Amino acid sequence: MTAKPKLSMYWAASCGGCEIALVNINEKILDVDAAFDFMFCPCLLDTKYKDIEALPDGDILITLFNGAIRTSENEHMARLLRKKSKLLIAFGSCAAEGCIPGLANLTNKRDILKTCYLDNPSIDNPSGETPKPETEMPEGKLCIPEFYGSVKTLAQTVDVDYFIPGCPPEPHQIWAVVETVLNILQTGAPLPPKGAVLGGGKSSVCEECERKKEDKKITGFRRTYEFVPDREQCLLEQGVVCMGIATRDGCGALCPKVNMPCTGCYGPPEGVLDQGAKMVAALGSIIDIGDLKGMKEDAIDKKIDEVISTIPDWAGTFYKYSLPGSIMKGRVA
Amino acid sequence: MTAQPTRITIDPITRLEGHGKIEIFLNEEGDVANTYFQVPELRGFEQFCVGRQAEDLPVIMNRICGV
Ligand code: SF4
Ligand code: SF4
Ligand code: SF4
Repeated sequence: MTAKPKLSMYWAASCGGCEIALVNINEKILDVDAAFDFMFCPCLLDTKYKDIEALPDGDILITLFNGAIRTSENEHMARLLRKKSKLLIAFGSCAAEGCIPGLANLTNKRDILKTCYLDNPSIDNPSGETPKPETEMPEGKLCIPEFYGSVKTLAQTVDVDYFIPGCPPEPHQIWAVVETVLNILQTGAPLPPKGAVLGGGKSSVCEECERKKEDKKITGFRRTYEFVPDREQCLLEQGVVCMGIATRDGCGALCPKVNMPCTGCYGPPEGVLDQGAKMVAALGSIIDIGDLKGMKEDAIDKKIDEVISTIPDWAGTFYKYSLPGSIMKGRVA
Repeated sequence: MTAQPTRITIDPITRLEGHGKIEIFLNEEGDVANTYFQVPELRGFEQFCVGRQAEDLPVIMNRICGV
């Protein structure tokens, strides 16, 4: 019997939700176990870093890498697993585009360390220590990873073969990818083209959303705590910032289904480079400030400002999951 | 026989949410002299949540831990 191909899953700057999403394929996880030697996954299995370091290069067939690159350890593990794996897949939004941990690119390392370790009311730190890569203790040196100045995506760090979108990827989509892989292993069918996004659609969440869509013209935005939206009509048409229009389909429009706007976790649709820019462009074409005839330019500006000022946090709204992977990558100054 | 303290490193600690590392230092008798638990990760939610919309916080904060 030939050995089963190795499968690994690693988390960098992540929340563990991606591992749980994998487990949420439920009993099909047994099929994964039957087909693969699932040998590394700190969330679920007790394998140590030194065991991975000891493997020959390319020994792992597939690594599902979730989490963004925030520290030197994240980068080290990305490089190590790249070397040890034939196929490296950016699994989930954190690895693919930076996701929620990537919102840290709106701030900076100094302020993060200050808030977390000096100003934090629940921390007792009279000597004002912040984490350092090396600390001398009486018994010897202690080392922790370096906290980088900004968050990067996996593909900004190492070569990535495929991407699986979502925060987290939906279990039915994960299973669809696993089935594709199993089919490739059994039949020798060709691999998808390198760089492909697997486990998602090629359109936008609006495509999967069953709400009634009419002419989109909005005169102002309303925030979700201000009213209970109608359950039938498109949320964006009701003035709620729904990112569905600028987000890849694949989840089944889960959030609009429960009367919440899509916040964009499946990332930009196929072929779109920058999710936030796509959303701003879409909003630009549907905001209606009324009849402009005879109006002076500054009066028009004022009207436009009135409408867009009803969205208080543009960066956090339009780039909630995609900031490090966007064109700007974060705060510029 | 050298009488150097010996170190046992457990890296990573597993089957939990988050990153952890344990360094155990042994004394000359081979008993535990001291142990350090380290959390080699930080994302900075405390800071990057500042400036976000209040209604977005449930969406953001549930990405602290998905386990
Ligand atoms: S993509 Fe979402 S679910 Fe996966 S690790 Fe990141 S925050 Fe958690
Ligand atoms: S904008 Fe939102 S609510 Fe409207 S169709 Fe698209 S996903 Fe559905
Ligand atoms: S509707 Fe949007 S935010 Fe909700 S799961 Fe789908 S892609 Fe993610």
